[in-house]
Amino acid sequence: MMRTTILIALMPVLTTADTLQDGWASAVAAFFGAALLVAVIGGLAVRFPAETLVEYSQKLLGKWPGKLLSLVPLFAFLYMAATDIRVYGEALVTVFLTETPLAFIIGAMVFISALAAYAGIEVIGRSADLFFPLFLLAIIISLVAPLPQVPILIRNIEPVLARGAGPVLRGAITPIAVISQYMVLTMITPSTIEPKRVLRTALGALGASSAVLAMSALLVVITLGPQRAARSVFPFLSMIRAVQLSEFIERMEVLIVFAWGFGVFIAVAAFLFSGARGLAQVMGLKTYRPLIGPMAAVWVAMAVHAHDDLFQVSTLFQPGLIFPLAAVGFILLPMGVLWGAYLIRALLGRLHGAG
Amino acid sequence: MFKLLQKFLQRRKKRVLDDWRKNPDISMREVQVRQVKLFADLDKNLQMLTRYAGPSFDVSVRRFTAAGKSPAALVRLDGLVDSRTVEEILRNLMVESRMIDEPGKRGEIKSAALERLLTIAEVREADNIADLFSALSIGNIALLFDGAAQALLCNAKGFLTRAITEPGSEMALRGPREGFIESLRANTSLIRRRIRIPHLWIESLVIGELTQTEVAFAYIKGLAAEKMLREVKDRLGRIKIDGVLESGYLEEFISDTPWTLFPLAQRTERPDIVASSLLEGRVAIFTDGSPHALVVPSEITTLLQAPDDYYEKSPAGSFIRLLRFGAILISLLLPGIYVAVINFHQELLPTALLLRVTAAREGVPFPVIFEVLLMEILFEVLREAGIRLPAAIGPAISIVGALILGDAAIRAGLVSPAVVIVIALTAIASFATPVFSLAIALRILRFLFTVAGAVFGLFGVQLVLFATVIHLCSLRSFGIPYMSPLAPFIWGDMKDALTRAFWWRMRRRPKLIGGQEPQRAAPDQLPLPGRDPGERTDGEKE
Repeated sequence: MMRTTILIALMPVLTTADTLQDGWASAVAAFFGAALLVAVIGGLAVRFPAETLVEYSQKLLGKWPGKLLSLVPLFAFLYMAATDIRVYGEALVTVFLTETPLAFIIGAMVFISALAAYAGIEVIGRSADLFFPLFLLAIIISLVAPLPQVPILIRNIEPVLARGAGPVLRGAITPIAVISQYMVLTMITPSTIEPKRVLRTALGALGASSAVLAMSALLVVITLGPQRAARSVFPFLSMIRAVQLSEFIERMEVLIVFAWGFGVFIAVAAFLFSGARGLAQVMGLKTYRPLIGPMAAVWVAMAVHAHDDLFQVSTLFQPGLIFPLAAVGFILLPMGVLWGAYLIRALLGRLHGAG
Repeated sequence: MFKLLQKFLQRRKKRVLDDWRKNPDISMREVQVRQVKLFADLDKNLQMLTRYAGPSFDVSVRRFTAAGKSPAALVRLDGLVDSRTVEEILRNLMVESRMIDEPGKRGEIKSAALERLLTIAEVREADNIADLFSALSIGNIALLFDGAAQALLCNAKGFLTRAITEPGSEMALRGPREGFIESLRANTSLIRRRIRIPHLWIESLVIGELTQTEVAFAYIKGLAAEKMLREVKDRLGRIKIDGVLESGYLEEFISDTPWTLFPLAQRTERPDIVASSLLEGRVAIFTDGSPHALVVPSEITTLLQAPDDYYEKSPAGSFIRLLRFGAILISLLLPGIYVAVINFHQELLPTALLLRVTAAREGVPFPVIFEVLLMEILFEVLREAGIRLPAAIGPAISIVGALILGDAAIRAGLVSPAVVIVIALTAIASFATPVFSLAIALRILRFLFTVAGAVFGLFGVQLVLFATVIHLCSLRSFGIPYMSPLAPFIWGDMKDALTRAFWWRMRRRPKLIGGQEPQRAAPDQLPLPGRDPGERTDGEKE
């Protein structure tokens, strides 16, 4: 059930498609880096299949240090989801609803997601199941639709890998950082039917999304050309906008925005659920539900005020800024500490066992 | 603050309950009547009967002398019993009983009548007024003998019921033409004739303090989950109300989520639908006096299936089913999307179409949302009026509706033709929903979508869609997720969800409902030439 949730949570990756000519190569590189991170995240989740990060961090580090440490990923949920929804809101305002206040779009989306989070993880998973085929269809259509233009504009991707591996690897950093969203695994693994399969599913989802990312990076460069692609704020949207299948079918971006909406909805609901549940566990509450309302409110404020405007948001996605913040701050710090504690405990346990 | 409110509510609830206990209403008196036993004296019994039944003119009492010596009385309700059966009973007791010449004791005639004289198949005994009267009401006659404190109840059913005809609200081109009627026994007989194994169990209980309605639920023992059966029995047993006149009363009492728009039980008039549901492991609830059976648990996919899907060949069945899903999406979303596109996203329309639509809207004095809501409400009113109208003046409403209102509204420039097309399309599509109660739910939601589309554009439509999906996904019908097998996604059950696979491919019952006995058809039944069973067992190839 959760498989699709995890998969859909990745949609924002599409918006940050690297627009360099070798973006597709960056996507491939990103896959390997991200796979490592997912293994780091999922590995521990699989070792504690019945517990959330908040619970096993207390087990590993002791009560108070564990609680303190688990606040870091909880804040990460808040920050990542707020950024996600901000990007979505900006895109919507830019492309469709030019006169609608951003706060309204964000507020409405968070409200709906909060409803889902309030209904529980089961409902989120089922909604994801229901939307997944539509989502997949939208992605496939958006990847297939530009194909007729490819033979004409194929020269746009030349020169291939002209600048060597350095830029390619640097381009891979942003997608890797976005993978920190997989931290949500640490909170929802106990709710899955087969926690053991979470890691495999997550890697599968990662593979699929990386493939989509590589494809879209290629198509963006081919359709728009490198200069236009680099200038565009939402390159994938601009690409789809440029597609005209026939006289009648020319506005395909509505499809993408819809699919993206599904993705953001599911992702934000999952983040909100995970955040509220985690916080409830930190605070020792029996149910997470009373936290949803206040958290959603904070979320809206965060999404609206954390960034001044669209350009600051896109600056955030610059490799130099997002990587230390997201990857190191939100994944490597808590997970590193936890893994360290786990390994030391395992080692000590073995020593005790031997003695 | 919250606690205070809770306390207040609790106290209020307690007061209401106390009130109910202290002031017994008429249904409590009914309970007392049940405790009034019959006497051994015939005259006293008859007096008591007239005291309870009052001056009702249809209670008819015929005194006679049974076996030539003991006084007796035959009580019946006029119009409910078959007069030939009554004559036969009287002949048995008055004429043929003369052959018995042993001198019986006072009251012994009752057992003699039961064992030797009466040639009626179904005879029961009653020892109180309440049972006696409820038996009289379903076409029994009561025999009271002097000296016996029990009455004999003989089934002499002779009241008129409707003939078994084609169900009016659920038509099918191919398939049986029988539909349920208002008689419970006739309805269960229709099921019995379709499923001829003893494992088809039909349990009954009486609901309604005043109406004493017989309610029966049928299931296949061993196929229906025991837990669900207990739940059905529990929920039905808890109902306390003065009367049950239709299965809709029960539906509201036994729903998992009472305030949802969506029907959580499938209501059907077709015995073939009930039989196929029983074969999947579901439970059917029949209410005496209602031609509508309830099938639980029900999911949204079962509500979107029509009998034709199963009787036509698989590709055709799948096609019409997909068509129906498309129609439902249209009926739900089209007005909302139209309003949103015209209001906010004109650029989404191809230029030629946009020019046409704008030209048609030229001179219309209302905003789009007003136009659409006007036509939608108009259509709903027309539909409602159409149901209530006698058949003779039915065509009149269509003339008024279609010609006068529709055509004149366009000519007068009050609404644009595009809106009329949209609403007409929506209306036609909404009639493709096979279950009426689901169609109503979708209609109400459609207004929500329309308003959201008018206020927030496609974004609003999307938000309402999300909200609807959240709601649908959180619904359960007797513990079964309402959206299964779509969400949670069950691949094995997809054979009978959006499309219908060949019968020989649907080898398993729906997982969540028929999980205890999953196998439905034998494997490997693909009908190919040269593959009849005899050859297959040889293990030869071609």
